[in-house]
Amino acid sequence: MSESNFNYQNIINGQGFELAFAGMIIVFTALSLVSIFIALLPHLLVSVNRWVPEVHHHSAPKTKAKSPAAGNDTEIAAAIGYVLHNRAGGSA
Amino acid sequence: MNILFEFLKTTGAVNMSGGNLLMILIGMVFISLAIRKDYEPLLLLPIGFGCIVGNIPPIAGMSVGVYDAGSVLSYIYFGVSQGIFPPLIFLGIGAMTDFSTMLSNPRLILLGAAAQMGIFLTLIGALYLGFTPAEAGAIGIIGGADGPTAIFLSAKLAPHLLGAIAIAAYSYMALVPVIQPPIMKLLTTKKERLIRMKPPREVSQREKIIFPIAAFLICALIAPGAIVLIGMLFFGNLLKESTVTERLADTARHGLIDIVTILLGFSVGCSTQAQTFLSPDSLLIFGLGATAFAVATACGVLFAKFMNLFLKDKINPLIGAAGVSAVPDSARVVQMVGQKEDPQNFLLMHAMAPNVAGVIGSAVAAGILWSVLVG
Repeated sequence: MSESNFNYQNIINGQGFELAFAGMIIVFTALSLVSIFIALLPHLLVSVNRWVPEVHHHSAPKTKAKSPAAGNDTEIAAAIGYVLHNRAGGSA
Repeated sequence: MNILFEFLKTTGAVNMSGGNLLMILIGMVFISLAIRKDYEPLLLLPIGFGCIVGNIPPIAGMSVGVYDAGSVLSYIYFGVSQGIFPPLIFLGIGAMTDFSTMLSNPRLILLGAAAQMGIFLTLIGALYLGFTPAEAGAIGIIGGADGPTAIFLSAKLAPHLLGAIAIAAYSYMALVPVIQPPIMKLLTTKKERLIRMKPPREVSQREKIIFPIAAFLICALIAPGAIVLIGMLFFGNLLKESTVTERLADTARHGLIDIVTILLGFSVGCSTQAQTFLSPDSLLIFGLGATAFAVATACGVLFAKFMNLFLKDKINPLIGAAGVSAVPDSARVVQMVGQKEDPQNFLLMHAMAPNVAGVIGSAVAAGILWSVLVG
């Protein structure tokens, strides 16, 4: 802190009002342009999609945790079916 | 026996000052707020413990503290003082942010811009109190409610105030649920708080991919000072949205941001040594920080009301408060305040739009202040 006095003149000397005004104008301009671009983007994409259709980007294959029984579903189903068949008194 | 007496002279207990004790107490309050109240625990807990560590009086001649050249803590603090950590945090934020609600309702971006008025009005206040323009710019950025941006800018413009500004920024971010609701209620009528907004439209993947590139170009060409923060934010978002770099996005939003948050929070806490931290300037910074937060919230709400004068589909003005970029806390506060009036009104997704726009806005504001006030 350069001075300990509270003074309106400090704002003038530091070009506070100009800085604040210019800063807000720039922030609003930047975000307004982003906003306008986003608003126009879907309309632009309608034309772009005609020439370059949207592709579904691949993503990394998700690894599934393997349980000890993973991959043996058919065998398990067959075993259950065999037991049920025997209990019902059927014969092979 | 002499060795024992000499050793006793060097102990922390003998050299402890009242200021050190006060800062240790503040550190404990931060830890308590993090654990008991769940206020920004990921930040307040490392900062709080850092406060305690940083205020143990060091032994003369030993390189231990943050400000001692060659100490371990000084190397960690290097990431703060040189502005390295904040862009890395922005990378992680970008990789975890979904801009869909903002893309589906672009007019809400303006609320993120309006809330940045807090930065510039606080800058004027800081100048009035006698701070230099560079110091005033660094203090004003507290109004952006964005800790990494505040640290980045104060490291560039006023490194001697970095500790006080960082602590003020993170303290007020943690206190968003306390500071914002009274202002929001004061500036809105019950009828306005009951406004229901249209659900957002579905956004295509192509829009999500184009957005970070285009928005970066727009912002960086207007405010080149924001390249580092904005660039990392949108790079992180592109990693996420491209869907082909999921591993990188996953690292950025989990491992990387967690590591950097630990180092940043802890070293910022360590930098609050009473001898440098406890000063009238710090008190003024805390006062200005609170004002900045309140003004930013008020500006966001009032601008939403102003927009409603021209809009057919009205905006619930509560979401203007989310324009301060404390993500996602201020959006959660909007949801909480809105649901007190109407439990079936879900404002969270709408509030996320100005919330993430606020992140962009505060980074742009930081870039402007840096380029104008540096040197």
